[in-house]
Amino acid sequence: MKIKNWIYTAALGAAISFAGINTASAQVAQDRYFRAIGTPHNPKVQVSWNRYHTNLALEEIMRDMAKKHPNLVRLESIGKSYQGNDIWVLTVTDFNTGRPEDKPAMWIDGNIHSNEIQGTEFTLYTAWYLSEMYGDLDFITELLKDKTFYIAPTINPDAHDYFIKEANTQNSPRSGMIVLDNDGDGLAGEDPFNDLNEDGHITMMIRKSPTGRYIKDKMDPRKLIPVAADQQGEYEMLGYEGYDMDGDGQVNEDGIGYYDPNRDWAWNWQPDYIQRGAWKYPFSVPENRAVMEFVMKHPNIAAAQSYHNYGGMILRGPGAEEDLGTYNATDIRVYDAIAKKGEEFMPGYRYLVVYKDLYSVFGGQLDWFYGGRGIFTYSNELMTSYLYFHQNAGRGNQDEQMKVDTYLTFGDAFVNWEGYDHPQYGRIEIGGFKKNFGRLHPGFLMEQDAHRNSAFTILHAYHTPKLSISEVKEIDLGGGLREITATIYNERLIPTHSSQDIKYKIERPNYVSISGANVVAGFVVENEDFNKLHEQKINPEKLEVENVSGMGAVKVRWIITGGRNYSISVDSAKGGKASWEK
Amino acid sequence: MKKMYLSLVAGAGMLFSVQSTSLAQGDYPTLSQVTQRLQAISGSGSTAQLTSLTKTEGGKDIWVLKIGKGDLDNKPAIAVVGGAEGFHVLSVELALQVAERLVKEHSQTLDNTTFYVFPNMSPDAYEQYHATLRYERRGNASNVDHDRDGRLSEDGYEDLNKDGLITLMRVESPMGDFMPLEADQRIMVKADRSKGDKGNFMVYPESRDNDKDGRFGEDLKEGIAFNRNMTYKFPIFTPMAGNFAVSEKENRALLDYLFDQWNVFAFVTFSPANNLSAPLKYNAQDAKKRIVTSMLEKDVAINSMISGIYNKTVTQTAFNQTNQGTDGDFFQWAYFHFARLSFGTPGWWVPEVKGEDGKSNTNAEANFLAWAAEQGINDVFVPWTSIEHPDFPGQKVEVGGIKPFVMHNPPYAMVNDIAKEHTDFIIQLAEMAPKMEFQNLKTEKLGNGLTRITVDLFNNSPLPTHSEMGVKSRWLQKVRVDINKEAKDLISGDKIKLIDKLEAYENITLSWIVKGSGSVDIKAGAAHTGNATLNVKL
Repeated sequence: MKIKNWIYTAALGAAISFAGINTASAQVAQDRYFRAIGTPHNPKVQVSWNRYHTNLALEEIMRDMAKKHPNLVRLESIGKSYQGNDIWVLTVTDFNTGRPEDKPAMWIDGNIHSNEIQGTEFTLYTAWYLSEMYGDLDFITELLKDKTFYIAPTINPDAHDYFIKEANTQNSPRSGMIVLDNDGDGLAGEDPFNDLNEDGHITMMIRKSPTGRYIKDKMDPRKLIPVAADQQGEYEMLGYEGYDMDGDGQVNEDGIGYYDPNRDWAWNWQPDYIQRGAWKYPFSVPENRAVMEFVMKHPNIAAAQSYHNYGGMILRGPGAEEDLGTYNATDIRVYDAIAKKGEEFMPGYRYLVVYKDLYSVFGGQLDWFYGGRGIFTYSNELMTSYLYFHQNAGRGNQDEQMKVDTYLTFGDAFVNWEGYDHPQYGRIEIGGFKKNFGRLHPGFLMEQDAHRNSAFTILHAYHTPKLSISEVKEIDLGGGLREITATIYNERLIPTHSSQDIKYKIERPNYVSISGANVVAGFVVENEDFNKLHEQKINPEKLEVENVSGMGAVKVRWIITGGRNYSISVDSAKGGKASWEK
Repeated sequence: MKKMYLSLVAGAGMLFSVQSTSLAQGDYPTLSQVTQRLQAISGSGSTAQLTSLTKTEGGKDIWVLKIGKGDLDNKPAIAVVGGAEGFHVLSVELALQVAERLVKEHSQTLDNTTFYVFPNMSPDAYEQYHATLRYERRGNASNVDHDRDGRLSEDGYEDLNKDGLITLMRVESPMGDFMPLEADQRIMVKADRSKGDKGNFMVYPESRDNDKDGRFGEDLKEGIAFNRNMTYKFPIFTPMAGNFAVSEKENRALLDYLFDQWNVFAFVTFSPANNLSAPLKYNAQDAKKRIVTSMLEKDVAINSMISGIYNKTVTQTAFNQTNQGTDGDFFQWAYFHFARLSFGTPGWWVPEVKGEDGKSNTNAEANFLAWAAEQGINDVFVPWTSIEHPDFPGQKVEVGGIKPFVMHNPPYAMVNDIAKEHTDFIIQLAEMAPKMEFQNLKTEKLGNGLTRITVDLFNNSPLPTHSEMGVKSRWLQKVRVDINKEAKDLISGDKIKLIDKLEAYENITLSWIVKGSGSVDIKAGAAHTGNATLNVKL
């Protein structure tokens, strides 16, 4: 009794003090801040969206979200990475309205490629935005009542921090931290990059040479420009910072990784000689295996988004031309409808198809989500140089990047050329763009792009199926028989089963059941006007409906006896649940 | 991965007792007998080490025997695989006997070659051979909804005539599309409607239609088949294959293990697929596509050469050997996705039996029954017998047909000779392994402490170090040449040199100019070719 009393008192005390804090912070906010439209101006969880977070900071923020929004955000580890880090997933939904696994769900992940770390921030932003806006905006409140978001900020935590904390280029590492033998010499990882000038960035090595084909631009000595064919140059390029560590005459030829985690997925998987970067077999990368196992256990996932960088793209499959037939017209209409809307509110982003607009990918993640699980999936290539000057200068445009660093970042992006005595090359110079420039957003561009991409995933999630039993008709057939016809309506764009799903029967059918009556016969109605019916002879009280298409309806019919107060329920893996009672 | 090394308590005495057990045995071994025999030839003091790679969903060990001497990991190795198909119990016995014979009779082969023997990749399915209900099982113990209707294994086999065997059932029906074979009325064949044949039976596996979907035995009470779960041409979402390739514990454990064994240069898989009695065919178009589906041209030539050796060593003449690989199988994976030389044979097949007219039976079942009769094996057919079938009330339904297992597995008494011949074949294959040698060493004094070393690196083997596929793959190491001199003392020549490939009997001339006196060591090779070493006095 005493203990119970103590708990009660303590809880009461805590409640009071929380209330106090809330009042106080609301007052503090009112005195100081005026809401900018579109943004939670007094969030419970404070995050700066103009910098990148390490795993430590990510975990702190995610725990804070779960703590401050106990009915909206839950945090779980879905498995361990190669190095034993947790792979975190935030489940964001209104936990007071239905079970999360009974609602149509949206999966969002970031950072499958190690150096592409803004995906982590953007997914985190989505979780933050949804949880902070719940109760504030009707649209978001409804959305979290209807849907579940599974958000994995990094599905590659090992190399997420390795990119941040260790010396790297803008492009390294792409893989996780498993070390393979890249050059086939029997040793693994024996000759990685070397941060010669110890500045935390792997930049470029150049050397003065009478046969060099480059000169430093007189107008901007940061720039190395090629000379004309008939002119003598001054510098030669020696590649990224490093030296030959194993004495095989090559520099930087065997570092971390080699494998590509985005060539490790089980739809149209091909080995390395066909698809460079594939490892042993699908899901041989442990981080991907954890994601796969989560997805297999959550058939309510009806839509998915993965984040990459860069170039400003909304990508859909197929990854390879050989797979063209997998994406059929019915599903492509859904893909097009959502992505074309996204193009409108994400300036600089273009809706593209991987195999024809980018390059060929076998065993890519988005192809497994769609081909292997029937889930409508996009992969966005975050950051586009369009965001700098609202011009399409293209990827890696040196002139534009120099201009950015001159007028917007004031030298923060570039390591100026400095002399260095190299053990093999002699006197060289080291310099170039830092690892966190180019592919990654500069701080001042992050929040708006995070918001726009979040808005895209919100649109996508909104269009996962929403089923209702919109009409039930009853006709007395005489002789104690009644005919019940029910209409199951899908109020959204995405069908309960994609065509790919139907083709391979990936997910079980939708079940439409009647209870509280004796069922004599049950049918799926093919054409009500002309009484075309498909009878289900076994278990007619639980009708199996292959699909309810987007913005479409399916009618079912039972002939029943008895039971005046019957009820009807719909149970769909990806379409959620709905019920009707007389 | 948890590795369990089993050391045997008893020593050599046990070896003999087990051999006599195996000789005295009258039937294919049970799983526990397989384990006992593996334990008997392995352990301390033996050239064989036994490891369990994993346990299957059914709780059975997946064993590997690593057999060899000395530096096992740096000698070319052959991997021998049995039990790719659970119903093919012969393959397990063959792999076992190959291992036993290697350990007991071919010790000298182990001086130069390492062996990996995976005796049984389908132990869950294998068990059905010794079960009270016997049928040709492929799937493991995973729960799988084969027909993907949301109901788990609702339409498995059913022993309708209670004879402990699953055979066929036939239903007399004017709509039937099967008819008795003219030459042997016991055998049911599909009516050839292009010839106006009508048919008068419907034929199904011995089963019921519990879910009333009109199909029989379409959702079996067994899981994924090892030999349908590999990545090459993986038949996704089809029965016995599953949702994705390498989904099963045994497939995964085997691959994880193999990807660490860099010395394997060839596989011999005992399974229904056969490229030994005749080589795979070359199809230029399929070989040139991005997704390669024909063995590459030079590799077909290797296959052809090895096939010649097989046919000289194994006495049985090929007949009805049309299976050169099936989708998702292991045998093709080893070549197309693992880039090793891959050879496969069922080990035994039903021999050709010619009728009185001197012609052989085009129907494989008729040929089998003729062969069984010739051999005096009478116990291979369950005569068609009427039963009451609840799904066909009032209709004539009979159960019967060739008994399970007998068409794929010969009487046990025949196995010793088959195993001996196949061991001999594998020994010959081992002798052909890529072999690095140094020849024609020359040292020339250039004065002032400089010496030029010239030597030929020679592959003394009828096989190349890398097949055409092997060159494409990153899962074979390159041939690496090392000289143990510091870079500053190497006036010319590479400290480390990587060579993509040496053809059969090809040599490459290597040369260095070295500063200093004393001697240098030169080493060349890769795990799967073995290494050649040379000490050169300066």
